Amino acid sequence: MDNLAKHLLQRLMRRIPASMLQSTLDKWGRLTAEKRKSLDFTQSKLTITQELVALCEESELTVKHITELEMIYVTENPNQGMWHTFQLLDPEDDAHSVELMQFKEQFKSHLSELKRNVSVKIKKHTDEAVWIRVAWGDGLSRPNHLKATYVVHYLQTPYVFVNALSSKNKPLLLQALTLSTKHQQIKAANLSGQKLTALRDLLMRQYQQVFPTKYPSPLPESDQSISKLRIEKVQAEASANRHRMAGETFGDGMLPALQSAFFQLETKFKDPTNEAMTQRDEPFICSVKFSSSNLLESLRHCASSGIASTPVTPLLSSIPLKGRNYFVITDNVPNA
Amino acid sequence: MNICRKAPRSQNITEKVKPEHLALLVKTEWQLSYVTPLYQFRHTQLKTYARQLSAFIAAEKQQGLAVEVGGLQNTFKVSFSVLQGLAETNDDPETVLIQVQSKPMFARQEDPPKTVWSGWLSCINGNPEYLQSLPKDFTCLPLFCSKGAEGLSSLVKSWLQRTFDCCFGPLDINQTTLQWLAALWTNCHMETNIQKLKMIWTLPVVPPLQVTYTVDSDDALELWRSTRESSAEKSRGAEDEVTRFMQGLMSHFYRHFRVDLSAGELNQVSSALGSAKLNGKIKISSSRYLISIFSLLTECALLKMP
Repeated sequence: MDNLAKHLLQRLMRRIPASMLQSTLDKWGRLTAEKRKSLDFTQSKLTITQELVALCEESELTVKHITELEMIYVTENPNQGMWHTFQLLDPEDDAHSVELMQFKEQFKSHLSELKRNVSVKIKKHTDEAVWIRVAWGDGLSRPNHLKATYVVHYLQTPYVFVNALSSKNKPLLLQALTLSTKHQQIKAANLSGQKLTALRDLLMRQYQQVFPTKYPSPLPESDQSISKLRIEKVQAEASANRHRMAGETFGDGMLPALQSAFFQLETKFKDPTNEAMTQRDEPFICSVKFSSSNLLESLRHCASSGIASTPVTPLLSSIPLKGRNYFVITDNVPNA
Repeated sequence: MNICRKAPRSQNITEKVKPEHLALLVKTEWQLSYVTPLYQFRHTQLKTYARQLSAFIAAEKQQGLAVEVGGLQNTFKVSFSVLQGLAETNDDPETVLIQVQSKPMFARQEDPPKTVWSGWLSCINGNPEYLQSLPKDFTCLPLFCSKGAEGLSSLVKSWLQRTFDCCFGPLDINQTTLQWLAALWTNCHMETNIQKLKMIWTLPVVPPLQVTYTVDSDDALELWRSTRESSAEKSRGAEDEVTRFMQGLMSHFYRHFRVDLSAGELNQVSSALGSAKLNGKIKISSSRYLISIFSLLTECALLKMP
């Protein structure tokens, strides 16, 4: 086992939490059951790593095998790092019929035409996602396995999620993706975050959504004469309306755990109590970032509790409706 | 809240305070506390106090009290010094700096000891009526700023409490003060580029929502000026200017998001000149406005004292 493979394995072991080691090694399957049983997982991570390196050396494992292990770990634990979303546009006539084998061949072939010395691994995950790992080298150097790019794509959808891609390699990767999926264009989808599953769920609408109805509650019966009841009824109605609109805008039940949204505002300042500022021609430049452990649930709660006025403004409803979390708002494009 | 609320002047205090002293105070985040007047504190006894506090820390360590810094073999050395020039009026006592340095027992001679904890007691533009009303034996240094391991902070406060019969309490920076600092720093943009005005709110929803609202400094300044002019026209006070400035910012936000920021809490304000947090942490990046800000904080400390 060469030094690079050892180094890669040691670094990977630092990344994998102790609780996940055993299951990840089992899935990997490159070590015999006997060898795996010989590892004592109650020891310190450092000790386990040393023993694991020794076992891998015995089995004469190489960099290729270690990158497999890394890919298994990342695929099972995708909510790390920063994922950026891209959208494929202008599909060709046969784009819909691209299937996995074809995509794999085409992607590898296109990418190696664009850049020499890239190492590509493609695997289909159980949930139909195609995972791609790319280690980049160039004409002079071997692929750098320490800084691999990961790509996730669901065939037959226009979305691609990318992690750890340098600006140098970006045009190459995007071109290879566009060609191998038989599209003509690809653009940034303005949706980024740490949790791949949240981005994916947001775009794939895999969460429960309430559809607006014309008659949200049973039609009213004969009126009540007691005014207190009426006031409570009005307030209860207002609250029920807020809850309904909040649910319609953001969805019901559990929502994808999007963690932030960013708005760059370049609009004029308009406030009837401040003439001087309202008369200015130049925009009032500012930015707003919303963050939360679950942004959509926070916003939904803002709407249902009245902190956000309903109906919810298009700026906020665009997040779930358009599946994006980065916006530049100018006076010409109020809805971005 | 009185004199401190006027628009502050930038001062070149490098003439009054030694640059090396200023360097100790700026670009560092301090945790704020208030402290009641110290009984029989003498600026002439600083060396004695340093010895006593060193001994106290060593004794507490021996008893097994963890100080969170370094190994068991570390020795702590304490120094007390005066930061001359920060006191503004004749009634303000001079600021006192306390530093705790740590040296591993087997360190080489050339290895400089590391400062692991610092704190300073000050009174800047303290209310003269109050200061003059104190009995002679009391020294009022109500603002306590500390930085370093929490264990050492507790020990230093504990020693000060028992030696000078005083008591400490946390000094939060409330909403009004945070808003005033936002206006202050915006105002300072006339002389020093503050780059951006950043404000962080939290809204009480589940899960909690954090809103970071960052305004371009030139635009913030124009808004500030427009609220000052209109407040001046209507002869309203300084507090009104700050309120109207914040309302302007919140209304611009509301126009876009239809979210009422006043339903939440302002947690943090920052700019190139410094940052201030609700939990009583402050950082000053430029010495030019140090006196103004610490005058305000002195006032907050005096008001908070029981």
